[in-house]
Amino acid sequence: MKKRTPEEKLLDPRPGGNIAAASEYGIDLTQIVENLRLTPAERIKGNDQAVNSVLRFEEAMRREKAAKKSKTL
Amino acid sequence: MINLFEVARLLSQAGVKFVIVGGIAIRSHGGNYITEDLDICYDRTRDNLQKLADTLAPLNPRPRGFDEQLPFIFDWSTLQHGTNFTFKTSMGDVDLLGEVKGIGAYDDLVKDSIRVDLDGFATQILSIGGLIKAKEASGRPKDEPGLKVLYALLDSELDED
Repeated sequence: MKKRTPEEKLLDPRPGGNIAAASEYGIDLTQIVENLRLTPAERIKGNDQAVNSVLRFEEAMRREKAAKKSKTL
Repeated sequence: MINLFEVARLLSQAGVKFVIVGGIAIRSHGGNYITEDLDICYDRTRDNLQKLADTLAPLNPRPRGFDEQLPFIFDWSTLQHGTNFTFKTSMGDVDLLGEVKGIGAYDDLVKDSIRVDLDGFATQILSIGGLIKAKEASGRPKDEPGLKVLYALLDSELDED
């Protein structure tokens, strides 16, 4: 029988295993598959980009709240 | 702007002896983990403390939660007088760990790590098995999702199916 690749195992987990357990827990295995297609450097840079996006979003929310507050004063 | 990749590159190119642990290590193995800090376990020899301090000093590290009005001197001696530190820097949060629960100090972590090429520089990253050991030993509820990812990654790499 042909040995399955990590990607194949993650996309079609065997019932009762740790991969299926992660999926049942709520882990999005497709995101892991996407990450595995990247180099380790790309994975870390992707983390930085994601965090910076969240920080930009939070900053925009803060500015919006401050603007609303100043309008009501 | 957060640039944890650049912090790792600076440390590596300065010849600092360290192993990446925590969320960035999980991420580098393929985990879908997002983290705001770079956790490293560092060698506590005098020479390494000096290199570590010299590399991070331009990033203006200050202990997180520390009163902004209070003076803080960051140099090798600061690092010598403690073991684990949580710093904020101009490139993001950097946690320095002298020891990692469940594994030990730098020399122990190196044995449990893999050397990974990161676009032109190489660095030690704690193995999936090592990360599992550390997270199981910490026993923190917040590590549960990370552990689930690590177990799945480990199983995906196993020969048996």
